[in-house]
Amino acid sequence: MTTLDLQYDTPANPGNLTDDPRQRAPLVTGDNDFTSVTNKVARLAEKWPDLWWWVAFFIALNLFGLLQVLIGYLVLTGVGVWGNNQPVSWGFPIINFVFWVGIGHAGTLISAILYLFRQNWRTGINRFAEAMTIFAVMCAGMFPGIHVGRPWLAYWLFPIPNQMDAWPQFRSPLLWDVFAVGTYATVSLLFWYVGMVPDLATLRDRATNRLSQIAYGILSLGWCGSSRHWHRFERAYLILAALATPLVLSVHSVVSFDFAVAQLPGWHSTIFPPYFVAGAIYGGFAMVITLAVPARKLFGLEEIITERHIDNACRVMLGTGMIVFYAYSTEFFIAWYSGEHYERFVFLNRATGPYAWAFWTMIFCNLIGPQVLWFRQARHHWLGVMFAAMCVNVGMWFERFVIVITSLHRDFLPSSWAMFHPTWVDLGMLAGSFGLFFTFFLLFCKFLPVIAMAEVKTVMPQAHAHSGEHGEALPGEDAADYRPDPHWVERR
Amino acid sequence: MTRKPHQREYWRSLSELADDPRLLEAINDEFDGYDPQEFTGVSRRSFVKLMAASMALAGISLTGCRRWPQQKIAPYTLRPAGREPNTRQQYATMLARSGIAHSLLVSTFEGRPIKVEGNPQHPIAQGRTDALAQASILELYDPFRSRGLEHQDERATWADFADWLKQRMQQRGRGVAVLCEANDSPALAAIRRKLDQDSPDLNWYTWDPLHRDNATAGSRAAFGKTLRPQYHLDKAKVIVSLDADLLGATDPAMLRHARDWAAGRRSADSDGQMNRLYVAESSLTLTGSVADERHPATLAQIIELTQAIKSTVDSNFEFRFSEFGLHLVGDMNIHHGESLVIAGESLPPQVHHLVWQINHALGAIGNTVTLTTEPDYELPYTQQIADLVSKINGNLVDTLIIIGGNPVYDAPADLDFAAALGKLKQSAHLSLYPNETSALCTWRLPRAHDFEAWGDGRSWDGVHCLRQPLIYPLFDGRSEIQLAAMLTGDAEPDGEKLVKEALTEDDAAWRSCVRAGFVEGSQAKAVDTGPRADAIVLPPSAKTEGFELHFAGDISVYDGRHAANAWMQETPDPLSKLTWDNAALLNIADARKLGIEQGDVLKISVGQASIEIAAYLMPGQAAGTITLPLGYGRKVAGEVGADVGFDVYPLRDTAGQAVAHGAKVENTHRRYKLAMTSEHYLIDGIGARATRQRLGEPHQSGLLLKETTLDEYRRDPHFAERGEHGDVHLQMFEAPSQFNDPHAWGMSIDLNACTGCGACVVACQSENNIPVVGKDQVLMHRQMQWLRIDRYFKTDEKDEHAENPEVVHMPMMCQQCENAPCEQVCPVGATTHDAEGLNVMVYNRCIGTRYCSNNCPYKVRRFNYFDFHSKPVRGLAKPWLGIPDQQQLVQVDQIKRLLFNPDVTVRMRGVMEKCTYCVQRIAAAKTEHRIEAVKAGDHKHRVLPEGAVQTACQQVCPTQAITFGNLNDPKAKVTQQHKTPRAYGVLAEMNTRPRTKYLALVRNPNI
Repeated sequence: MTTLDLQYDTPANPGNLTDDPRQRAPLVTGDNDFTSVTNKVARLAEKWPDLWWWVAFFIALNLFGLLQVLIGYLVLTGVGVWGNNQPVSWGFPIINFVFWVGIGHAGTLISAILYLFRQNWRTGINRFAEAMTIFAVMCAGMFPGIHVGRPWLAYWLFPIPNQMDAWPQFRSPLLWDVFAVGTYATVSLLFWYVGMVPDLATLRDRATNRLSQIAYGILSLGWCGSSRHWHRFERAYLILAALATPLVLSVHSVVSFDFAVAQLPGWHSTIFPPYFVAGAIYGGFAMVITLAVPARKLFGLEEIITERHIDNACRVMLGTGMIVFYAYSTEFFIAWYSGEHYERFVFLNRATGPYAWAFWTMIFCNLIGPQVLWFRQARHHWLGVMFAAMCVNVGMWFERFVIVITSLHRDFLPSSWAMFHPTWVDLGMLAGSFGLFFTFFLLFCKFLPVIAMAEVKTVMPQAHAHSGEHGEALPGEDAADYRPDPHWVERR
Repeated sequence: MTRKPHQREYWRSLSELADDPRLLEAINDEFDGYDPQEFTGVSRRSFVKLMAASMALAGISLTGCRRWPQQKIAPYTLRPAGREPNTRQQYATMLARSGIAHSLLVSTFEGRPIKVEGNPQHPIAQGRTDALAQASILELYDPFRSRGLEHQDERATWADFADWLKQRMQQRGRGVAVLCEANDSPALAAIRRKLDQDSPDLNWYTWDPLHRDNATAGSRAAFGKTLRPQYHLDKAKVIVSLDADLLGATDPAMLRHARDWAAGRRSADSDGQMNRLYVAESSLTLTGSVADERHPATLAQIIELTQAIKSTVDSNFEFRFSEFGLHLVGDMNIHHGESLVIAGESLPPQVHHLVWQINHALGAIGNTVTLTTEPDYELPYTQQIADLVSKINGNLVDTLIIIGGNPVYDAPADLDFAAALGKLKQSAHLSLYPNETSALCTWRLPRAHDFEAWGDGRSWDGVHCLRQPLIYPLFDGRSEIQLAAMLTGDAEPDGEKLVKEALTEDDAAWRSCVRAGFVEGSQAKAVDTGPRADAIVLPPSAKTEGFELHFAGDISVYDGRHAANAWMQETPDPLSKLTWDNAALLNIADARKLGIEQGDVLKISVGQASIEIAAYLMPGQAAGTITLPLGYGRKVAGEVGADVGFDVYPLRDTAGQAVAHGAKVENTHRRYKLAMTSEHYLIDGIGARATRQRLGEPHQSGLLLKETTLDEYRRDPHFAERGEHGDVHLQMFEAPSQFNDPHAWGMSIDLNACTGCGACVVACQSENNIPVVGKDQVLMHRQMQWLRIDRYFKTDEKDEHAENPEVVHMPMMCQQCENAPCEQVCPVGATTHDAEGLNVMVYNRCIGTRYCSNNCPYKVRRFNYFDFHSKPVRGLAKPWLGIPDQQQLVQVDQIKRLLFNPDVTVRMRGVMEKCTYCVQRIAAAKTEHRIEAVKAGDHKHRVLPEGAVQTACQQVCPTQAITFGNLNDPKAKVTQQHKTPRAYGVLAEMNTRPRTKYLALVRNPNI
């Protein structure tokens, strides 16, 4: 019988990436206190932006302008400027819509679900992830609006009382979409804004010129940091988090109904809701990483958005990627198992038909490329992380391409089979939607607090002078005395 | 209202008045199911709410700040006699093509002709037309037609022309020649008799590129005079076609052939008998596509086959040639007097003679074919135009008057007609469109459209048909007989007088003939004769090197005269599915051997002449042959027709009018985009395998198509019900909705009768204001036709290069599913069901999400990606800066819009559309029926009787393959057809419950 040697080699400075169970990795590294965090974050909104920001903003703004010109051209000429045809009557706009809605998932997941699950590491990335959500949903919301043949009548999708008593047709999944995406956009926006109020007040207090004082003053809703304010704030935030949580699951489930409710082979599938939600989180986290890796570098926020944050996001991606892989396999299995000719054909056609290149691009980007994240070295190097994230960004777009195009282009009657070719307007609008996204994102980086300062401070050791590093109360202490913390709310 | 009239009402405030329970009750009665409060009071809050929302939306949606277009309506102060506003009137008239008249009934609305139907009383038409006749109305309103006279590029008047003509005709017509297109008009014949007396030196020639020189020469050789065969396919049990496209668009008696052939197919259901059609041909034609036994062969092989048949028939049927020949001869042996052999125009005259001898031996003459006198075909047309050119070149003619036609484009290439025309100082051309010929003539005369002028002609069976104008000439045109009459010195000829004088003196008889559209009992008498029995010396067989070129009239543009007709250009060729182009049709094995791919530009040369043309790999094309459709590559044909496809006339010389031998083919390795509406044949392996599974092996059913052979059908009449998921009677769910109307509209389509001719496609386009999209949009698969004919090829595993495929024609339009997948997914409820079972489109509610199309398993919905009525046929759609739904008001040509059917919405861009079973015709029939019933004192709702409403496709179908009617009427034909064992619903296993059923295909191969 051997004795277990309990003496570990504890490194002097384990860093932020340690998995040593005896101690928790700090969420904010470096020699930071409350003031330094405030300075680091608020400075970004106060200083004149760096050159790289101007370059990026210039490019994004141009693409955004291109989008507006193309929308004008589209509305004045007709949706025929796209490559859509019969049978492929949904093309790039719907692909882009689903793609952007998917991206919009990660933000709310991080801020709401991780909040409810007490994942304190979320505080470093939740603000800009939520911003990403808002802007992604803007991109997404735009596409169905301009996608319809008569965009000036798109408001008929809303249940507005009218003299003809004509209501929308409530059995249509497109209408459910309107409600689901609308609700999601509203709640996400509220959640984001409410969470930002204390930080806006900080910016207001630090503002030196009159204009920003007024602007931040209005936006911060008269916040003065009183206990009552904090109390109300915490309550509101919790309620919104609880409201947002089911939405994370519902919105993409409903988006998937657009396909699943149709009888088209390749769309008509009960696995779609969970498959789409997992895919959305997968794609959303990839986008979070895509934004976070350069941002922490360029904004000098490495100590707040730490390597551990990136590492965690990579793990989420690995997990959801497995679900996506499982969904793909199930689809093929069911197609084979059903014995149904049309269903089998669609999947065979995906893998070996004229759009096989898109299918295999999707498989590589979604299933093979990101597997590098199993390796620690890859997760801890920006190159590995960015490679995986970019793979997933591309792969998730192609996933929607494969679903929409390959199912439609060859359905039941072979006489109607046709190929889909995107036009320059299709490509321009896809690029333009990135322009829209980045324009708003860059403006956000410039003018608003990119990090939830108030929340980050709650997870710093300084907030818990009498407790453990992560805020758990030491024996005999009431942590609520020190901090506005969700634990406190729960304990009451 | 329940309120008593004299009862006094006092009220103190509006709200008190509004709350009157009696008022609410009254409202409740009138608007059942609504909240009466909505109609009476409005609370301050809801008022402000609604106003705010309305203001906001009015601002957002542009609708609030628009100016509605103003239109003035003026009533008649004196209504013209017989004019009823807003009603349709039908007039009998005709149009002529290659000298053969087609009797028509044209609907006019407020003085504008809008729809063509066949004349129901005429023995050949019987209410049907072909596709070209349907499309003729588009040419009437074509803004690119000849507009006004021109003399040496300057405006002129008919009086100027009359003066000039008088001067030219002074010397008894010396030096003047007339080149007229084929014309069998009795009025013209009368004028010519007068001209022969007055101006004996005038030279009159006839030319028509789709002539019957070989057939008529063969007939002269056989009978000593030119006789015209009248085939009676309904009496024939065995029909043998030797390169003759009996059911094709270029056959002058296609309507009768199609009807008679279909009658011989239908008998399968009643007495279990069917005719059997044998076709030996070089290229797959419509006739070949419905053949029971088909044999692809070169000309030499067909001649050899004919000889073999002849010697077999002579030697008591003891000869073996090939499997095809064996079957054929065996059948003939059994069916003496019920067989018929038909020779096509590509065969030389001697073979025609041979075929007449065979028919004689088979006892066909007098039974399955009768002979009538061929009017006015003394000389082959090819010889006539050659004579004319030699006279011009010999300076014997200095003035040429060309009536119709386009000889510069379509005359035999070796004559070089353009050069001859250029030598003339004076020439005139009467033409509907400015074309290649009129461009070279000194006088350009606008021709009246068939619906603008008086005229006459004779149909194939010799019936004297009359043409009456339906509208005053739009562009100052005159007809061919008016121009001919001007030659006699009449400066202002009266068309009506000319036609009437040629027919009768009697006013009453004249009026009744005009009313009927033809002269009753004027059929040509059958000539009782037999062919000469001389031994026939066949011409030496042609060079075997190189390809054999077959020139064929095109199903869309005929010989090129309809090149400017956008409907026809966009109607897909029934077999190649090609639109807006022609192509060299190649045997697939030949093409593979030469390394030619679909769409490669080929250089084809015969002797010195050569052309460039795109290649199309055509299943069923005989090895060693290339078929070149005529009529494309026009240089002067308006905005629509110019530079569409490839001109093949340069290869067609006097000797090789039908077939040219020894052609060389070179691949230029340039690519050309061909716009097909369906291109499944040459697809990847996986697609091909799936297609095979869906359509089945030859003579067998697949998932989508049910078919069998006659023998199998007799053994198992219920074959169409077999198959996967055939039984949809057991349902988990109730039927989707209750259709409680006495009408339940349904349709049946007999696949056994459909020849794929495409008349229904054009009829639908004409009836339903369907726009043309142009080649670039067809390439993007955005064609708009509501009705398409799905063409599928089925080949044996062994037939690797599809040398002899089986063809299926399957007309496909909205199936009016009772459980319609499209309806469920529309977010605004723009497509819904009515109580009669129609799946209706609410165009002004549609916002264009296109979800319905995605969910339609038949893919029969069509979307207005642009405002196709406004968009030019070529080039990009231009942005429209005004209010969107006013685009058409400005951009659609003022003349073109006269064509629109006022009963059908003209759809704007961004709107989905589809077949509605011609709901406007149903509504019109109901109104009419109800008026009649009320007049008769019957005020109750009445059910439409069988036959009261016909859909446009049904009405035109030459073989009556489409039946439409009320499924609630047990006696209706459609109900009975739905109950026959052959009836099946396509994709019925999806539980869409389609209202259209297909009658499965039964073929009659000789096994």
